[in-house]
Amino acid sequence: MTASATADSLISLAARERRGGRLSTATMLTGPATIFVTIGLLIPILILSRYSLNQFVPGKLMVEALTLENYVLFFTDPYYTTAFYRTLRIALTVTAICLVLALPLAYELARTQSRFKNLLIMLVVLPLFVGNAVRAAGWMTMFGNKGALNFALQWIGVTAEPVRFMYTEFAVVVGILAVNLPYVVLTLQSVIESIDRSVEDAAFSLGAGPFTMVRRVLLPLALPGLAAGAIFCFILTMNAYATPVLLGGPEFVMMGPLVYVQFAAKSNWPFGAAVAVILMSATLLLTAAANLMVQRRYRT
Amino acid sequence: MSALAIADKRRLGRWALAGTAGVTLGFILLPLIFVVWLAFFRQAIPSFPPQGYSFMWFLSIADNPRFVDGFWLSLQVAVAAMMIGLAIGVPAALCLARYRFWAREPIGNLLLLPLVVPGIVLGTSLYVFHVEATIVTELPILGSVAGLVAGHILIVIPWSVRLVNASLAGFDRSIEEAAQNLGATPMTTFFRVTLPTIRPGIVAAALFGFVVSFGNLEMSMFLVGPGRTTLPITILQYLEYRIDPTIAAVSVLQLLLIGAAMIFTDRFVKLSRVV
Repeated sequence: MTASATADSLISLAARERRGGRLSTATMLTGPATIFVTIGLLIPILILSRYSLNQFVPGKLMVEALTLENYVLFFTDPYYTTAFYRTLRIALTVTAICLVLALPLAYELARTQSRFKNLLIMLVVLPLFVGNAVRAAGWMTMFGNKGALNFALQWIGVTAEPVRFMYTEFAVVVGILAVNLPYVVLTLQSVIESIDRSVEDAAFSLGAGPFTMVRRVLLPLALPGLAAGAIFCFILTMNAYATPVLLGGPEFVMMGPLVYVQFAAKSNWPFGAAVAVILMSATLLLTAAANLMVQRRYRT
Repeated sequence: MSALAIADKRRLGRWALAGTAGVTLGFILLPLIFVVWLAFFRQAIPSFPPQGYSFMWFLSIADNPRFVDGFWLSLQVAVAAMMIGLAIGVPAALCLARYRFWAREPIGNLLLLPLVVPGIVLGTSLYVFHVEATIVTELPILGSVAGLVAGHILIVIPWSVRLVNASLAGFDRSIEEAAQNLGATPMTTFFRVTLPTIRPGIVAAALFGFVVSFGNLEMSMFLVGPGRTTLPITILQYLEYRIDPTIAAVSVLQLLLIGAAMIFTDRFVKLSRVV
């Protein structure tokens, strides 16, 4: 009796010790990375938010204050509101087109039995890692007055005069679209791959046409992936930098370049911080809204 | 007759699908194809049709110190960030995959956060952080290489967590227990059983970390000091003024480097499984 009680308490002691040991191991292993990301990311974002409430006095850079005037300035000055709404509009346009274009390629990649599948995936991933500036350079080669596109148009005879593509919204949308497509394709591909192929066959054998199958079976099942892809695409477009700078030119202001100019050229840290906070909040808010919509859709 | 029509329709649908997929893939690759093409033009401006082809732009890169310096800085920063990022990221990933403890999920989310926060916001946040840190410590942190590397470590960590986690999926823990039952110490178990299992994940994390750091533009723009730029920033600044075969040749070299890194990674971890 007493012996077994002692044994029990010994066992529980050993278990507790093991649990304690495990916890300290966990602290040791995750500690450095956790501390690094906390100090290197969370605290900087807090400082940034604090900066956005400071005052900018020309000649004295930044004066400590607690004011909303940077935010008021942003939402009352038409120059900035134009940039804001333009960025939102382009983000929505690009996201919509991106989903439509990405779906067929994602489906083919997910369902292909080809031994070149890995090569095809590499071809989608490669542009991702090459950098936005290099890809913008490719579009610049095509969009110039003597570029490939104008040459092709004149050769066919559509137009005699060169059409201006550079520094237009069209160029920016095309450029960002190409930047974001790989992300969306890869997200959709992994979701479609996880959907059992037999549900598609079931739909077909029950008499559904390809379009009905996609609309009634594939899309509802792939909805979380579609949402994730769309959100990713939206965030990327809201924060695009290289593409609007290179293909939109200096007159075509979007949010990303706006933040950089405030910091680098104008040294207006408080206003730059406020624009960055607005950019971050708008991104997070719309992302959360999209998430919520998908969840509600699922409950009903 | 109608069965035939349905079969026809389905075949047509399949061709249309493959066609659209091909067009999208072409669209993604189009800018890269044109950059490569331009690098071999003989004339110095991107006008079509090209008046001939030449290799000389590749040779002229070596005479351009901006690109050479940018390349070296990018290389050094990427190697340093990759090694430190792995050194703290891999143990954390291992721990998150193996142990169940209350902080597991929040920490996991926190470590993936740098991947979600947009580069511009990351850059501005780190910039103001460096300003404050410079004031507080009176050390030249703002614009230093160390500050740049620290920023890059931040974006290497989520990749190492993600890739090591992916390589541990489907790993049977009983193999480790078996090793210990057979008398292996925890150390031996780790080096002889666990490490060989996650080695492909670590190699993939190293290469992805390197590539992500090497190509980073938005965050680095805020962190580089005066007169010191990484290769992506140099490329961007050059393109703001003009597009010519020289910059295309530089891009081709970057393309080759990254392509080689990807093919090498693919031998260890199938890319289709991790991205």
